[in-house]
Amino acid sequence: MWLLNFLPEWVFHFILLAGVLGLIASLVLKFIPFFSTYKLPVQVVSILLMVVGVWFEGAMSNQAAWEAKVAQVQAKVAVAEVKSAEENTKIVIKVVKQLELVRTRGNDIIKYVDREVATDKEVIKFVENCPIPKIIIDTHNAAALNQPVAEEKK
Amino acid sequence: MKLLAFAFTILLFLTAGCSTVVPVTVKFPEVPSMLLDKCPQLKTIEINPTSIVDYTKTVTLNYTTYYECAVKNDAWVEWYRIQKHIFEEVSK
Repeated sequence: MWLLNFLPEWVFHFILLAGVLGLIASLVLKFIPFFSTYKLPVQVVSILLMVVGVWFEGAMSNQAAWEAKVAQVQAKVAVAEVKSAEENTKIVIKVVKQLELVRTRGNDIIKYVDREVATDKEVIKFVENCPIPKIIIDTHNAAALNQPVAEEKK
Repeated sequence: MKLLAFAFTILLFLTAGCSTVVPVTVKFPEVPSMLLDKCPQLKTIEINPTSIVDYTKTVTLNYTTYYECAVKNDAWVEWYRIQKHIFEEVSK
């Protein structure tokens, strides 16, 4: 509605007021020669002014309601953006803590393997006598790479 | 009087407003950058012959890698649920 942005609001109030006053004047001020002579043209013009005035009053009211709605949604979006950022921060903190825990536990197990498993007499004896067969290693590697196992023809 | 009645009927219709779609756009929420990392490739055993100790270490590292990825995946699911809820609150 470009006209609403182009003209000040009082213009539309004035148009409506002029229409109403013109119509009332044509009905009440019959004793004035101008209104008695031009009653019909005055009424027609007044009604046209009222129609235009009321239409623009409606448009202004609609515009105001629409702008209020936009402001309301913008406020909601702003709140949502803040909330979204806060939730992101919470997720990051949670993930960092969980990753740290996972890595610490993994490292602890590796250290345990070096410290306890590698020095265990039974393990040492097993390592000396029983190397892991190549087929086991290949199967492990295929699983790690999610690739089909390359079967060797016998 | 007929003219006046006609005019007022038109005025009544003209007072009806028009429905308008609110032109407000919602930006797609930013995802934490740490969740955008790809899951690393699992480690393979290259040493031959391999001892059971090295084998255990490699398996342990791979399990750790899996759990790191699982944490990130769970975070993605949580992020999606929360952001969806926030987005739906805006459109209510």
